[in-house]
Amino acid sequence: MDAVEKANAERQRRWSKDQKIGEGTYAVVYRGRELATGRKVAIKKIKVGQFKDGLDMSAIREVKFLRELKHQNVIELLDVFSSKKNLNLVLEFLDTDLELVIKDRSLVFLPADIKSWMAMTFRGLEFCHRNFILHRDLKPNNLLIASDGQLKIADFGLARDFADPGYKMTCQVITRWYRPPELLWGCRYYSTAVDIWSVGCIFAELMLRTPYLPGETDMDQLKTIFRALGTPTETDWPGHTKLPDYVPVGQFPKTPLRELFTAASTDCLNLLSQCLIYDPKRRISAKDALSHPYFFALPYPSHPSKLPKPAKKDVPLEEMDGNVEMASSGPGVKANPPNKLKRKHSSEDLSSRPVARRLDFSK
Amino acid sequence: MTATSTLESQPVASTSSQQSLYEASTQYRHWRFSPKQLVDMRYALNSDAVSAIRNAFENDSPGSSASVAFLSAQEEYLLVKLYVGKVSQLCAHFRFPEEVEATAVTYLKRFYLKNTVMDWHPKNVMLTALFLATKTTNHPISLESYASHIPKTAPSDVLDLEFLVAQSLGFDFAVWHPHRSLWGIWLDIQTLPDVSLGDLQTAYEAATKHVRAARLTDAEFIYTPSQIALACFSLASPTLASAWARAKFPSLPHPPVADVLGSIEAMILREGSPPDVEAVREVDRRLRLCKNPEKIVGSNAYNKKLQEKEKKAEEKRIRKAEAARIAMEEGDPFGNELAKKAVEELDDDDDDD
Ligand SMILES: Nc1ncnc2c1ncn2[C@@H]1O[C@H](COP(=O)(O)OP(=O)(O)OP(=O)(O)O)[C@@H](O)[C@H]1O
Ligand SMILES: [Mg+2]
Repeated sequence: MDAVEKANAERQRRWSKDQKIGEGTYAVVYRGRELATGRKVAIKKIKVGQFKDGLDMSAIREVKFLRELKHQNVIELLDVFSSKKNLNLVLEFLDTDLELVIKDRSLVFLPADIKSWMAMTFRGLEFCHRNFILHRDLKPNNLLIASDGQLKIADFGLARDFADPGYKMTCQVITRWYRPPELLWGCRYYSTAVDIWSVGCIFAELMLRTPYLPGETDMDQLKTIFRALGTPTETDWPGHTKLPDYVPVGQFPKTPLRELFTAASTDCLNLLSQCLIYDPKRRISAKDALSHPYFFALPYPSHPSKLPKPAKKDVPLEEMDGNVEMASSGPGVKANPPNKLKRKHSSEDLSSRPVARRLDFSK
Repeated sequence: MTATSTLESQPVASTSSQQSLYEASTQYRHWRFSPKQLVDMRYALNSDAVSAIRNAFENDSPGSSASVAFLSAQEEYLLVKLYVGKVSQLCAHFRFPEEVEATAVTYLKRFYLKNTVMDWHPKNVMLTALFLATKTTNHPISLESYASHIPKTAPSDVLDLEFLVAQSLGFDFAVWHPHRSLWGIWLDIQTLPDVSLGDLQTAYEAATKHVRAARLTDAEFIYTPSQIALACFSLASPTLASAWARAKFPSLPHPPVADVLGSIEAMILREGSPPDVEAVREVDRRLRLCKNPEKIVGSNAYNKKLQEKEKKAEEKRIRKAEAARIAMEEGDPFGNELAKKAVEELDDDDDDD
């Protein structure tokens, strides 16, 4: 055997693949263990053979960026190995994700809990941006939660680096409900600000417990945004009418955030509004967000271990299968976010994901 | 993106706050060596390869390896270097951005720190390394159109090696390049007082040529991208380079990079040109006779190896089918924990492909 093959086989032998726990469009995910330590891991097996252009771009991006990023709030890629024509990513095992937490109606969120999730999200994102990496698909479903409560940014299948300025980039990124107006209007030279908008939407969703800006189509998305935040003027956002796909979508008045977010503190709404500033240049950066007064005011962020998370129920498998429908009828989802780029709709996740997660609870 | 942040992404000295980013990179952790380590690694790789291939010859027909003149580590290096140059020609043909070219070159060079040319010829690996680089740098093109632009190349020729290349790279796809750092230095110098922009432009263009020459050397395995960039600038204009270093490290009488610049410059001047074509032609001619027969599709040794592999796979399939049968006989394929476990253990991968 070649040295390279041998090294690969050695890596492969460090891990055991136990049980299938989920399936995305381009990958099957298994629960596994590190044999030496017994540490629980997730093994994401990407079927490579099926792509006519070889290793597919999502897999390449995920591997490329996760190999470089090590941070408490970014999912850790522990190893990569190949087996036959499959690529296996060994990831730290994570119990749940923020979408499931938000949808679990039995959980009550304190303002300090929301602050804690936001702080962890900004910390992870600041690290990505400091490394010149745009995530481009932030949404609750891609913020995974570890057993100790730490939030981890995951799913780098759409990420890219931006160290080379002036490169045209595709505007077909980010799941629609979390996509900023500059992308909806076809802006091709964008920046870290696109991720910040998504975080703003997640912030709002944590308070509302339902997606904040659930547009039904790309056009409706802009309308939904402006209905909530008012139509931007030339002063709000100089030059926006010159964007490639600019179309006027009607005049909506600005309503103060306070009207919808009645219980939020002033600091909280100030940070939220800075994430949702129309002009990408003026939108707050992850770094500045981390020093925003919101994070230093009372109540202090909850300790991650104290954050609410879905209960681990010991339910037999058969019964769980019967409960899929119930689990999928989460409130607040008004439309499927159609998503050409992503492997799966998040509304489809509703039917597969809770089951996949709970399969795991029967151990 | 501002000029300074680009520069700092590939810092020259440890004073920069961005240094840790580079030091956390896979490039820094996995692909930096001392000159001596490089020599030793290549020597060990080559002698292991020679003995393995000698065995393959002997297995095929005893006594047949005696007359074979295997390549030395130095000869392998020459051949790889020739193909590093060819990557640039290909990239020019496709009009790929510099990022793609530089990344493909790095992949090709890294590949041959783990593999021998006697197993995998660089003329093939080069094509796969370049195709992979288009994807990892986010400039993908379809395999079909890629292959159709290269004479006598089918899509499968490119794809068959993709896994091997990715594996050999240890899946470290991200690469930090000197041309990026050079660009940062260029932007920085524009802001210095009393700099003639005409001189700067001339120097930058000359430095860019040196950066390309550096790709033919081992510099990237020994020095940081920004050290290489500064050395290239210094080759082009020592005055501007030292003005930049003084501005960058105003408090230090002796900029921390100064020590290595001389070695890098010497290396670029010494090794930064393509190898002598006649010498490489001779290496390539000998390579035809000492290629690993197990890697030559259709050869006896290749077929034998293939048969062994298939036999093993077949045995495994039988064991698996047997385990599944036992499980079925228990009435429920997943009722019997033991049988299920047995199936899972055997099921290392081909369950759903
Ligand atoms: N690190 C992990 N720890 C535990 N379970 C995980 C982990 N990563 C993924 N999973 C499980 O595997 C499922 C599939 O994951 P994957 O990332 O492939 O797809 P997805 O995020 O659900 O959908 P998409 O393909 O659209 O990204 C997840 O829904 C989850 O249940
Ligand atoms: Mg996902």
